[in-house]
Amino acid sequence: MENKKMIPAKLPPDIYRALEDVVGQEYISQDRAVLECYSKFSVDAGGTLKKHMKDPSNIPACIVYPESTEDVQAIMRICNRYKINVIPFTNGMITFSGPTTPDPTVCVHVSRMNKVLDVNEDTLTARVEAYVDYAQLQAEAMKKGLWNGGTPLATTICKISSQSAFAGVWQTDHKYGTLSRNIVSIKVVMPSGDVLVTGSDSVSGMETFWEYGPGPDLYSLIRGSGGTTGIVTEVVCKLHTWCGETELPEPPAGRPSIQTFTEAKYDTAPFPKRHTLLWAEFDDLEAEIAALRKIGQAGIGVGLNATGVYNAYYCSQTQDMTLDRVKNKFFPPYNLYVILQGIVSQGQLDYEESVVRDIIAEVNGRFLTEEYKGDVLYALAPWNLDCIRHVTGYRMNRHSYCGSNILGGPIDTVARKTREVWSKALNTFGETYVTDRGGMDDTPFLYSSNHGGRYWLTEADVYPDMNKPELLQRAQATVACGMVNTIADKYGPGANGLGVSIEPVTSFMPEVGPNAYLLFRKIRNVFDPKGICAAGRQVFTKAEYDAFPEQALAGFNKLRQMHGLQPIER
Amino acid sequence: MAVDNSKLEKIVGKKNVLADEATLMQFSQDQSFVAPRRPDAVVYVETVEQVQQLVKLANETLTPIVPFSSGLTLRGAAIADQGGIILNMSRMKKIIEIDDENLFAMVEPGVTYKQLQDELTPKGLKVMIPFGAPADRSVLTSYLERDPVMAAPCFEDGNSLIMDTEIVLPNGDIFHTGNWASGGRPGAPSGPIRTNILRMWTGAQGTLGIMTKMVVQVSYMPAQRKIFFIPFKSLAEAVEPMKRIQRREIGSESFIINSFNLAALLTESWKVPSKFPVKAADAKEFEQIRKVLPAYTMAVVINGPKRRTEEKIAYEVTALKELCDSLNVQLLESLPNITGAENIIDAEILRPWGVLRKFNYKGSVHDLTFKAPITKIAELEKLMFDLALQAGYPAADIGMYLMPLERGRAIHCEFDLHCTAADEAERETVKTLWQKASAELINNGAYFDRPYGIWAPLMYSRAAVYSQMLQKLKAETDPNNILNPGKLCFA
Ligand SMILES: Cc1cc2nc3c(=O)[nH]c(=O)nc-3n(C[C@H](O)[C@H](O)[C@H](O)COP(=O)(O)OP(=O)(O)OC[C@H]3O[C@@H](n4cnc5c(N)ncnc54)[C@H](O)[C@@H]3O)c2cc1C
Repeated sequence: MENKKMIPAKLPPDIYRALEDVVGQEYISQDRAVLECYSKFSVDAGGTLKKHMKDPSNIPACIVYPESTEDVQAIMRICNRYKINVIPFTNGMITFSGPTTPDPTVCVHVSRMNKVLDVNEDTLTARVEAYVDYAQLQAEAMKKGLWNGGTPLATTICKISSQSAFAGVWQTDHKYGTLSRNIVSIKVVMPSGDVLVTGSDSVSGMETFWEYGPGPDLYSLIRGSGGTTGIVTEVVCKLHTWCGETELPEPPAGRPSIQTFTEAKYDTAPFPKRHTLLWAEFDDLEAEIAALRKIGQAGIGVGLNATGVYNAYYCSQTQDMTLDRVKNKFFPPYNLYVILQGIVSQGQLDYEESVVRDIIAEVNGRFLTEEYKGDVLYALAPWNLDCIRHVTGYRMNRHSYCGSNILGGPIDTVARKTREVWSKALNTFGETYVTDRGGMDDTPFLYSSNHGGRYWLTEADVYPDMNKPELLQRAQATVACGMVNTIADKYGPGANGLGVSIEPVTSFMPEVGPNAYLLFRKIRNVFDPKGICAAGRQVFTKAEYDAFPEQALAGFNKLRQMHGLQPIER
Repeated sequence: MAVDNSKLEKIVGKKNVLADEATLMQFSQDQSFVAPRRPDAVVYVETVEQVQQLVKLANETLTPIVPFSSGLTLRGAAIADQGGIILNMSRMKKIIEIDDENLFAMVEPGVTYKQLQDELTPKGLKVMIPFGAPADRSVLTSYLERDPVMAAPCFEDGNSLIMDTEIVLPNGDIFHTGNWASGGRPGAPSGPIRTNILRMWTGAQGTLGIMTKMVVQVSYMPAQRKIFFIPFKSLAEAVEPMKRIQRREIGSESFIINSFNLAALLTESWKVPSKFPVKAADAKEFEQIRKVLPAYTMAVVINGPKRRTEEKIAYEVTALKELCDSLNVQLLESLPNITGAENIIDAEILRPWGVLRKFNYKGSVHDLTFKAPITKIAELEKLMFDLALQAGYPAADIGMYLMPLERGRAIHCEFDLHCTAADEAERETVKTLWQKASAELINNGAYFDRPYGIWAPLMYSRAAVYSQMLQKLKAETDPNNILNPGKLCFA
């Protein structure tokens, strides 16, 4: 570690005062102790490496806590006028979140905007403020026999606004199709300070009930923009029929104490009413894929996923238990689970279960039951509640969860492609931890994202020890290698199966689109002509492109050449 | 500015550039009230390279270019408001691929619903089609313009059947969305760079790019289908049953149709037209049928897939019956007084263009197509009737079709006005009513998410920031304003 002092950039005092005038003294800070909290995010290898390198650009210059859309507008206007960078922030749990340039950056933490404003049974929608999380939304919606359709593994405390900025992958995407297809309207404060609302809500006098238009759909430019189009202050989500109770059932063992929380019995909640979760195992990947495809095509169920060895990370209560289970192959290497809901009636549940049973028999799979591998089934019980309310995500944090390759596509290609690409990356750079290989020798993590099973997402991750910079670097290289390889092999939309990418993979992979970065540069200019919002994160301006360090480009070009692509010459 | 035809001929060949009076007249109008305007030329293209070259030429010569596929949107979207070239893609008719394992098909802009369905039928597959779409409407354009398909009530995950696409950008560059974005195999809709980017081009009337290929979802044909009818005396009575049935997720296709449209659909002596407007036909059979039909009929379709067909149908039927009993509404398996009507409707579910027989009533039909929250539909229907009364237009001659979307989150509504195209006076009266109704419906919360013709200023004048952002996007991506200028909120 270098023996130097890290001195973060500071805001000019008059700008700080102007921001203070907006939110009041209590809700702004440039105290070093507070800034540090926003400097290293729990899962970010890049941020952690910067910390190791004592890079001051890791730390924002100031944190503001607006209370309303009007506050956010005022903050944006000030920052835009003086060309000060802005970064929106909710939990900081995504794999990138901090300042993106050495220039002083204002971090806008929307934590005071935390109300569910409305649950509308007629339009099947809920209006939430930026800091509302899935758990809060679900609690309110269930009271009216509704729910939002899913939550990410990242835990229920993920905010819907930040999920709209980047991810939004659920265990129940099979029926409900990711957060992308579940937003009716989004309210975003653009760098100019103007508020853009999308969907029917954008037209005065209209109710909020339809997600498109008028005419071309501007939501498409905000979704997945990683904070570069402005700060989302409200989201209107779709709601769907919920057939469970008005509250989720608790584990019968009750709530654990601090001493006992690692005991499995506190993780075994019963299913909500009219829900079934079936686990099956297979002899090989072929049989598993055949079953996934057939169940997908049958158009049943709300969730259809394969987890393989990932179960060891998700369902083990301690790190030791995880490693032991990985080593001893406690969980079946080829498996799937399907989540069924009886929304129409119990008859629906019975019918769908029969169909699953037929299919598993057709491909010679076996169900896990109390009699057959009852201990495995018991160990998998955390999923019982996770199918609708995630709590396990954080358990999967080995040392860290600092990067992923997420591929999308048809089941037959995506499962194999992810194994090929990720294995190659690991073989090139080496593993950072024993769990990095998860799914590469057996089933990769697979999520159905479409009710006909037409397309899927798959994931592979790195879990390095964050205290070891060389492992963090290796992890970064592995992830970048996987991305470049995927694009070089002409597979998928680019950086990941969600279709979202960040720099430098946007501008230095002109094969995507092709030249998608040039179109997106124009789009950035439409929203943010001064380039203050999460500057340089998703797509570089020409100036940022030219200023990208030569050394970093050389590294990137090496990866390109390794995969048979021409180096980029600026 | 006009382009020299010889330059166009160089790109597509002499025979594919038409500038004779008859052709220009033909392409100057459709049956809508949108003002006619003659293009300078109609250019038939067969390849994406030709499209690219034409777009580049249009940029060099500042010539407007209007993408045209089947021209059957019928709402003036393909009229060259500022002259220029009609880029006719109706000969790009290739079904490039049908993937029956991953359930998608890749089509060019000239591929029609009928063509694609004919190709899919032997494979046991179907394309999802909007009610009342002409058989020869382009699948690609119809999806691009967000026509809601008949199965839309049960799309819990949104009305999004488009997967990968190929677009010619306003500067002539090619752009791919979805899994196809890095050039390989298509097969998923997201990206590149932003998750839902393809939606930018939807509802755009060709103003932001020209889509030259689209991958669309296809589905299995059900093994069996059961259709139920619920009669209502008024639309208001139908609201609660529709809400309850949808919220319980019973059935897949479902719609409410009034006696006018249902009678038109069942009038076998009327031909289904393929060109519009048509010559009015004898209405005797139609009048007889319309008399015996209930004011409104809700249809609920329960599909049985290949696996355990009967079991699936049985549990849904039981639930539907219980629900109807508890609501005290009649659930019928056939239409009283019309023998065999259920078979006609059954065939309609797969090829739903029979309702176009309605054109035989007077020759031309002028629709008001919008979306509304379920709580508003009865109020909007009453408003429509009041306006018709004031204008001296018979309320009984308003055709109505309503379809719940995404389990009733929104209701797709179509109100039709009929007139004789050649009767100037009648056309004027109906036009005035149609214009007034457009404005009044919008004033009362009818959301025209696809703002054609006069709906555009009515909508965009209420959406200042949204329009400004669209205009900035247009200026940034199409600085010469060559793509279908004058549409939406664009100059
Ligand atoms: C263990 C683990 C498991 C995970 N599993 C999943 C999973 O299954 N599915 C999934 O989808 N994701 C998953 N993730 C990643 C997930 O996307 C993020 O954790 C989550 O969305 C981040 O939410 P956050 O509230 O912490 O956002 P932050 O990290 O604070 O922000 C995320 C991004 O959104 C921007 N942003 C934040 N707030 C706003 C706003 N108001 N307006 C505009 N932009 C904003 C930020 O600038 C940043 O670019 C996982 C993460 C972890 C750690």
